Amino acid sequence: MPTKVIYNAKINQIQILDENGKLDEKLARGGLKDAQVLKLYEHMSICRHYDEVAFKLQRSGRMGTYPQNMGQEAIGAVALAAIRADWMVPCYRENAALFLHGLPMEKILLHWMGDERGNQIPEGVNITPISIPIGTHMLHAAGIAWALKLRKEDAVAFTFFGDGATSEGDFHEAMNFACTLKLPCVFICQNNQWAISVPRSKQTASETFAQKGLAYGAECLQIDGNDVFAVYKAAKDARARALKDGKPTLIEAYTYRLGDHTTADDARRYRDAKELEMWRLRDPLIRTRKYLEAKDLWSDDKQKTLEAKAKEIVTKVVKNAEGIEKPTNDDIFDHTFAELPEEIIRQRDTMHTHSLGQRPEQETLRASARGV
Amino acid sequence: MAGAKSTDPNVFILPDLGEGVHEAELIKWRVNPGDTVEEHDILAEMETDKALVEVPSPRAGTIAQLHGEEGEICHVGNPLVTYEGGGGEKAKQPRAEGAAKAAPKTETAPEEEREDAGTVVGNLSASPGVSRTEGKALATPAVRRIARDLGVDIDSIEGSGMGGRVTERDVRAVAEGGAPSSRREPEPERAPARREAPDRETEPRHTQRQVAEETSSAALAVKIAGGGVPAPAAGGSQRIPFRGTRRTIAKRLRESMDTAVHFTVMDEAEISALDGVRKQTAAASGEKVSYLPFVVSAVCRALKEFPSLNATVDDEKEEITRHAAVHIGVATDTEHGLSVPVIPDADTLGVLEVGRHITELARLTRERSIPRERLMGSTFTISNVGSYAGRFATPVINYPEVAILAVGRMREGVVADNGAIRVGKLLPLSLACDHRVVDGAEGARCLARIIELLQRPQELLTPVRG
Repeated sequence: MPTKVIYNAKINQIQILDENGKLDEKLARGGLKDAQVLKLYEHMSICRHYDEVAFKLQRSGRMGTYPQNMGQEAIGAVALAAIRADWMVPCYRENAALFLHGLPMEKILLHWMGDERGNQIPEGVNITPISIPIGTHMLHAAGIAWALKLRKEDAVAFTFFGDGATSEGDFHEAMNFACTLKLPCVFICQNNQWAISVPRSKQTASETFAQKGLAYGAECLQIDGNDVFAVYKAAKDARARALKDGKPTLIEAYTYRLGDHTTADDARRYRDAKELEMWRLRDPLIRTRKYLEAKDLWSDDKQKTLEAKAKEIVTKVVKNAEGIEKPTNDDIFDHTFAELPEEIIRQRDTMHTHSLGQRPEQETLRASARGV
Repeated sequence: MAGAKSTDPNVFILPDLGEGVHEAELIKWRVNPGDTVEEHDILAEMETDKALVEVPSPRAGTIAQLHGEEGEICHVGNPLVTYEGGGGEKAKQPRAEGAAKAAPKTETAPEEEREDAGTVVGNLSASPGVSRTEGKALATPAVRRIARDLGVDIDSIEGSGMGGRVTERDVRAVAEGGAPSSRREPEPERAPARREAPDRETEPRHTQRQVAEETSSAALAVKIAGGGVPAPAAGGSQRIPFRGTRRTIAKRLRESMDTAVHFTVMDEAEISALDGVRKQTAAASGEKVSYLPFVVSAVCRALKEFPSLNATVDDEKEEITRHAAVHIGVATDTEHGLSVPVIPDADTLGVLEVGRHITELARLTRERSIPRERLMGSTFTISNVGSYAGRFATPVINYPEVAILAVGRMREGVVADNGAIRVGKLLPLSLACDHRVVDGAEGARCLARIIELLQRPQELLTPVRG
């Protein structure tokens, strides 16, 4: 039998707005409108300030560990491509997308302050709590997308994860389910080059992270993750594809973590200062501002006003988060289940006494939990 | 949540700067007392075992006081900065008092801090605690810690490990080469001092501690030693550096409490008969004779039957040494602090000889002219706490010994004797043992035997072994 090529693969890379703020007009057609770019720029700037303040809250003992988002704010453009009914299933470096999709800004602070109410997403906001364990939530996204499909809802699930997460089994299981079942699911890998201190070169031998989706039958592409136009277009196209053809997309957003992994990390210990400098020049804020300035949509005055506004907003958010009345420890039962399972009811009822069986009155409780 | 918060809004407590961080080295202050700061302004640069971090101010205000020196290890939970009060009652309090109130931990902290500071100061004299970011050595936190403990400036070492990493071996090589300057207190000379001591077969092989002038022992009635320079503090209190004799005593006692598992058995000996013998002996010899030589003699005899109490522990080698001879340490209160002179081979001495030794030791100790070897090598310690007051005590073992006897104040008391009531002379005894080496029953039996011997004083007059 002669040898023949039975599969050909290619991965497209898309950049629309380059580092100097220059736009590829052709690719940009039908994409972000200037009003949206303005909105995104303001929003990303507020997120940047939020990030800096959150970092300082940890350093001054006002908050627990916090992972900085700095440098990855362009991911917020996904939210502009989404509709309200779409779901966001995040890890922890997508603040910009979550806030735009309706998550109150104090929720993230509350989460990192160890307050369960930080994970309590308001009714009508389709976002799952941020997921700290790496990769576990991609399966939830596949499940949510499956539910959307079964309910015939006109919505998709966007899930976000890092480059390191693609080395987890869950990533592959989620991709396999989503593609095989033709689920409206969009996988967005924020490749920020580092999985804590593990560089991309030690993470995978794959030339791109995008191509990891090919074997599952997903549409795969790599975009400049610091380019709001590319992020928006990729998300919008993927959304349409998911709904129209039932074909999931894996988007590799090529970006960089300008900060440390978390406040418990010091990236200077393992990263080259030159690499950081190079990436600072590719900052999504800088190039979006350059674009707006070139179009005469931005000025130093507007920048000043924006900075004051950001400060005012974030100060208020911090005040709200710190001012919230102390939680009780009963709330651990409150926000996970719509209807508490019997076993959990028993745990709740005996939480304030000793372990089960050590006190006679618990037998009564146990019986009542069983409905005896 | 992110860690302890002061109840006083004017006190900023050092938070956990990472995840599970307990301490951080203060690299550089970025503010001075009197400076006005905004919320989020940087107060200090600090280095944890993971990261060099900037510590921002949690609030706006004026800096009243900085707690800690550059180069010092600061503990999470202790005050870092005190702000001037913005009105209200708290502001009117003296600052130091306010700080102490807000953080009761400060009262217990010094001992801990000193210990750490002692190891870190050496580090600093080599590199004056600034801008260590440049030319920063690559090393794991564990190796950094070792360097810190050995007083080695890790950034000055050329690493031999992968990618120029500084390895543990590199650090130790520098430390052994004696390169780093170090203000660390000199280690007590251990082995040499021991070799100079009289070479007896029976000499305890443990003598790791240099039982210097200020050996630890019973934690009883120890005075605050002089020597430190008192610094003024709030409310007429004095701050005295934990140094010299006081520090040595503290370290020995700490070591004992941290290592030996203490238990104490207590009982009284009815010594009416002994009192009689004591008076006779004194009259016959024309010397002053106290109870103590009788107790020493009784202890020597009891230890022959309970050799596990006449022992020392070598924790490093995990070995117990039972000693053939009995060298009794006598815990003595001096104006310079606690001292434990030794009666060597006390088991070869009669009561009168023991008494003479005690008198002699007391004189030498008082005059501070006691030779070093007379302060070393005890195998069991007796503390005469009853000279002042107190019946029973929980004495601290003179580690690495395994037992100590505290002798209380003799008193007259009602004794039930064969169904009749009479007045007897009662001597309270408290025997503390290291439970790792001595079982409870064994300790109790030994104390019972000591009491029994004290009640038959005639037998005590002659030496146990000739």
